[in-house]
Amino acid sequence: MTVTDRTDQTKGADEAKGADEAKPPADFSRHVGLVAPATRSRHAVNEPMIAHWCDAMGDSNPCYTDPEYAAGSVHGGIVAPPAMLDVWDRPGLLFTRDGTSARTKVLQELSEAGYDSIVAVNTELEFTRYVRPGEVLSSVETLDDVSPGKRTARGPGHFVTSRHRYTNEQGEHVGDLMFRMLVFRPERAEALADRGADKPAAAPSDPEDPDPVLRPMPAVNKDNQFFWEGVRVRELRIQRCNGCGELLTPPGPRCPHCGSFDMGWVRASGRGRLYSFAVPEHPRVAGFGYPLLVALVELEEGTRTVADLVGLTRDQLQIGMPLELCWLEGGQYPLPQFRAPLPVRRAGTLTIDDVAAGDPLSLVSLPITTTLVVAGAIATRDYTAVHHDRDIAQEQGSKDVFLNINTSAGLLQRVVSDWAGPEAVYHSIRIRLGAPGYPGDLLTFSGAVTAVDEAARRVTVGIKASDSYGDHAIATIELTLPQRQAS
Amino acid sequence: MTRHSYAGKTAICGIGATEFSKSSGRSELRLALEACMSALQDAGLQPSQVNGLSTFTMDTNPENEIMRLLGIRELTHFSRVHFGGGAPCATVQMAAMAVNEGVADYVLCYRAFNERSGARFGAGVQARAPVATTEEAQYAWTSPFGLLTPASWVAMFATRIMHEYGVTSEDFGRVAVADRRHAATNPAAHFYGQPITLEEHQASRYIVEPLHLLDCCQETDGGQAILVTSLERARDLRQVPVVLEAAAQGMADEQQMMRSYFRESLTGLPEMATCARQIWETSGLGPDDVNTAVFYDHFTPFVLPQIEEFGFCERGEARHFIADGNIELGGRLPINTHGGQLGEAYLHGMNGIAEGVRQVRGTSVNQVNGAEHVLVTGGTGVPTSALMLGAAQ
Repeated sequence: MTVTDRTDQTKGADEAKGADEAKPPADFSRHVGLVAPATRSRHAVNEPMIAHWCDAMGDSNPCYTDPEYAAGSVHGGIVAPPAMLDVWDRPGLLFTRDGTSARTKVLQELSEAGYDSIVAVNTELEFTRYVRPGEVLSSVETLDDVSPGKRTARGPGHFVTSRHRYTNEQGEHVGDLMFRMLVFRPERAEALADRGADKPAAAPSDPEDPDPVLRPMPAVNKDNQFFWEGVRVRELRIQRCNGCGELLTPPGPRCPHCGSFDMGWVRASGRGRLYSFAVPEHPRVAGFGYPLLVALVELEEGTRTVADLVGLTRDQLQIGMPLELCWLEGGQYPLPQFRAPLPVRRAGTLTIDDVAAGDPLSLVSLPITTTLVVAGAIATRDYTAVHHDRDIAQEQGSKDVFLNINTSAGLLQRVVSDWAGPEAVYHSIRIRLGAPGYPGDLLTFSGAVTAVDEAARRVTVGIKASDSYGDHAIATIELTLPQRQAS
Repeated sequence: MTRHSYAGKTAICGIGATEFSKSSGRSELRLALEACMSALQDAGLQPSQVNGLSTFTMDTNPENEIMRLLGIRELTHFSRVHFGGGAPCATVQMAAMAVNEGVADYVLCYRAFNERSGARFGAGVQARAPVATTEEAQYAWTSPFGLLTPASWVAMFATRIMHEYGVTSEDFGRVAVADRRHAATNPAAHFYGQPITLEEHQASRYIVEPLHLLDCCQETDGGQAILVTSLERARDLRQVPVVLEAAAQGMADEQQMMRSYFRESLTGLPEMATCARQIWETSGLGPDDVNTAVFYDHFTPFVLPQIEEFGFCERGEARHFIADGNIELGGRLPINTHGGQLGEAYLHGMNGIAEGVRQVRGTSVNQVNGAEHVLVTGGTGVPTSALMLGAAQ
């Protein structure tokens, strides 16, 4: 994980801090409530785009891609992932909409007034029913609200809210989107410095400098060099006696079991469980990010290893919880560290009898890679440059490309689906977006069942995706689970 | 049954210490010399009568300088014990064995450092150059991951003890509260007149969760010396002899230096069990015979498994033993009556031996009535040592 640049972006964009008194309030009321003409999707709902989207999100739900499975499922055939609802009517790379919608006009006026940056803040998707390949969707946009000027962590801005109603060619209503964005004037560096937000870069050996290159070096000798050679190629190695096969931790030059001096090693699978942990707070030492969670991990192979935990908070730690290996880059050696496991897709689907309010979802994590950011943006037909072009993203003040809200929605849908099973049917996905998701970071998903309506077989899940900047997305997802089959 | 032959035939005839402070203003060598002179005066002996020295490998005061500057004519025994705070009781055992073998007549055991104003252990090991000795290489399994201080090494055990036995931070806190209560009436203690409450313990900041500040010992500048001779000679000296009823060293079960994270269980102290077995077998005593104990307490959590390893209660039951008031003055087994290393001073356990001696002599500020058998332990989480001190018959 990259552990730098913790500046004002840790605060959510929607943290309003009072009216922006610098400018007289603009009047957008004449636009509010206006309904734009219907937009017809460029392409019908289609299997290739569905497949690309599933690849990007890592969603292997066969209801979206496996005709045979889908035919036997609750859907009776291939359906599009519900989180793709607002993807179908997107124009694509080269096409732009004419500026006739009320929202477009407001954005234009704001841009002329210097409010030239946009971040998504909320998205609320509601699904009347799943859509199928071949359907051509149309959407109708209504400008719902333009907030008065607000002072936010990113700078002064306005929240612009729109509603989008989706229908198919027959006029059948299939779903709705509520979308809120913050349109803002990026805070100038001087202004941030005045408010103390722009901290000077850490000096060398500053105990607050988390650069892993400053961590204490391992002393490497002939007895442990196989381990430190291993980390260079991202292998967590465990010493194994070539004579009797016993594992030895910490390693040494002689096997105490059979007496052999012929010592080899095996590569650890990287799966383990939390055996114990410590949370060092004093003294703080350069090279480490605090809060620092140090784990004693019991590896699947039966030996233990000390390593830092990443993407987890103190309150999420439970002795025995499953963990998976990943690597801390940027130090003198790559260092093993452990995170919550990747999500694993449930083969069958939970029934309504399997869940109760308060049930936790398994803690899982997903590394954010540049590939995920870019593939997610393109699979959701979001060609905004900050989601695929690092140079432009940095010109606009971000440290890198970052996840678009549709990818966040897709990942949340995937994680909940992996937990609930392929035939869970979504009714809504409501997301509040916070901290940015940059490549090199880790998204950790934690959630719980918040309500169960047994009669309607309706389950509400509260889920949060967090990264090193804070809460990236907080979501409420409603879905229907099947009844238990009579046996 | 093992019975060590020096047991019952050797004794502590003198103890001496400097003041315990946060900044001694003097060299470590001077602190060692002052402590040694104090022990000699306590016994009523001259430096010229000493012909043995025993200390820690970690001590910076070489035997030749102690000999030269104290005015010792010649040394026939000089020994050092390794593994930091695990050594204190073992230096006395080395001395007793040398005396019993006739190798030396009077052996000074000493430990002196400016551990507070100089290099604090609590500051961590991050500044160490990576010299690839076997001992240094062992730090590679913990230091790059942020376990850099003794508190951090112990915290990993403490979390597991809490998990397996339902021990809480309050249970650790009760050890600190007892120590500080005893220190409060000890004029030599750092925290003389400063008892704490369990609420204050709980409110103190985390050093390394689950260890609060008040779970950690009082890092100290100072020196302590213990003078050992034969019981026969001791009978002719100024002080009531304090007999070595037993002494033991212990190392066991995948032992590492404070980071024995790879042994099957993290909730016990197998090295202390090794000591306990030898102490009971050599002394012929059992837990019921012990009137008071000085348990090594650089950090509170390891006091619990010590109580268990010596059999004062069952495994996992120490929290109840403590909560029931047994470790308080007037309780079944008052512990650390000088205030321990949390309350009196962190002197690598050597000051605990002196308190054991005072209890047998009947001169402790927190005297346990009729203290005939006093258990003293060395460092926890490290290869260690222990003593049983008793009154001469």
